[in-house]
Amino acid sequence: MLGRMRDTLPFVIKADREGFLLIVNGEIPLPDLLEALRTKLEESKAFFQNSRMILDLRRRTFDPDEIHAVRALLEQAAGVELAEVRLGSSNGAFFRWAGAVLGVKVSLEGERERAAAAPQEPPPGAEPPLVVRQTCRSGTRIESPAELVILGDVNPGAEIIAAGDIVVFGTLRGVAHAGAEGDRSAKIWALHIEPQQLRIADVVALPPRGRKPKPKRYEVAEVKGDLIQVVSY
Amino acid sequence: MAGRTIVVTSGKGGVGKTTTVANLGTALAKKGYSVVMIDADIGLRNLDVVMGLENRIVYNLVDIVEGKCRTEQAMIRDRKLKTLHIIPAAQTREKDAVKPEQMKALCGELAQEHDFVLIDCPAGIERGFKNAVAGAQQALVVTTPEVSAIRDADRVIGLLEANLLKDIHLIINRLNVKMVKKGDMMSTADIVSLLSVPLIGVVPESEEVVVSTNRGVPLVHERGSRAGAAFQKIAARLNGENVPFDDDQDGGFLSRVKRIFGG
Repeated sequence: MLGRMRDTLPFVIKADREGFLLIVNGEIPLPDLLEALRTKLEESKAFFQNSRMILDLRRRTFDPDEIHAVRALLEQAAGVELAEVRLGSSNGAFFRWAGAVLGVKVSLEGERERAAAAPQEPPPGAEPPLVVRQTCRSGTRIESPAELVILGDVNPGAEIIAAGDIVVFGTLRGVAHAGAEGDRSAKIWALHIEPQQLRIADVVALPPRGRKPKPKRYEVAEVKGDLIQVVSY
Repeated sequence: MAGRTIVVTSGKGGVGKTTTVANLGTALAKKGYSVVMIDADIGLRNLDVVMGLENRIVYNLVDIVEGKCRTEQAMIRDRKLKTLHIIPAAQTREKDAVKPEQMKALCGELAQEHDFVLIDCPAGIERGFKNAVAGAQQALVVTTPEVSAIRDADRVIGLLEANLLKDIHLIINRLNVKMVKKGDMMSTADIVSLLSVPLIGVVPESEEVVVSTNRGVPLVHERGSRAGAAFQKIAARLNGENVPFDDDQDGGFLSRVKRIFGG
């Protein structure tokens, strides 16, 4: 469910130290990209107003027309300045373009070696964990596209959902769903697990009736076989 | 002089908001403070009945905000206490007859002239709740030791915090000490640990409450009433007095604290 929502956008915008990072995914046609981007910018115009944007084309082949069009759109829709363009290592298109402009063959010294030595970057689109610094009371619903950390209790009537693991630094009394995009290896960690219901990926578990003793340190719920097991430590 | 505006709310109905407002208002007025109680439950007014002032209503809250009368004209003075007034709700109107901004303005105006403005919030979390909360600086959340009431109190506390109303205290109403001791009812400590809001008082379950409601005389007027004494203590704590929590009446909460500290 979360995955599908994310896939509908042909790009990801992340906050970066130097401004915003616009990562364009795959080979979507330019008009579609521009239209989606315009909608996003207009939705959050005040948020992006007068910011700096870095265009990340590492997941897409370089195209100068595209860069011109994106730059014009950023400027016009929300007054955003295009500060930098980042190209992927397969930037042959860039050299062909530069070569065509200059009329000379352009190449980069040591490009291959540096690419090989460069540290492995996390895959673009990988989201940082969501940290909630308060108790989730009844009626709260929190969804995270990655891991979810709650620094407080999760009370009955609250729902917390994450694509990855869930960590509750308090008592979990509400509903928790880890691995919501289908990852059965996701786990739920809490100081005390006393939930209304636990879900990991497609597995649902109801707690046994009656009170169980409090754990000494913490508890972990994970899928073993086709069941969710809670182990106290 | 600027008084304090305090909303009494709960989420769930029937946990004793109106009884709490009537008794706290009366107890504060008995101490000599000037108190106005506003019944914000438009369409289901109750506070006037509990105070025994039903037949004196001419104007109401909606008349004030619609400009049909002056604020003082809708304020009904208590039969016994000169400094205690109520502003009744309109019985024949809907909750959306009042806007949150109007409520805020009215509370501000009343707080200029009185020491305490107590707002009796309707059950639920819709328009009526938003109206009642709009003008308040402080909230008292009433719950009974039942899971459903606690769940709703939790939700309401979350909504209050989201409204930037952070001064929240908890009142546990209708605690049955015998049942708690037998393990058949949630204890004060359990409720406070779940809701994580400071406790301001515990009111024991009592048949006297029904009698006093039907008679239209708040319990704090009755000598020897334990529930009435509990409300008086809450009023004193609201007033900033340091009243210790009584072990027996408060359902063993203090004895647990004492045990923790080895006392």
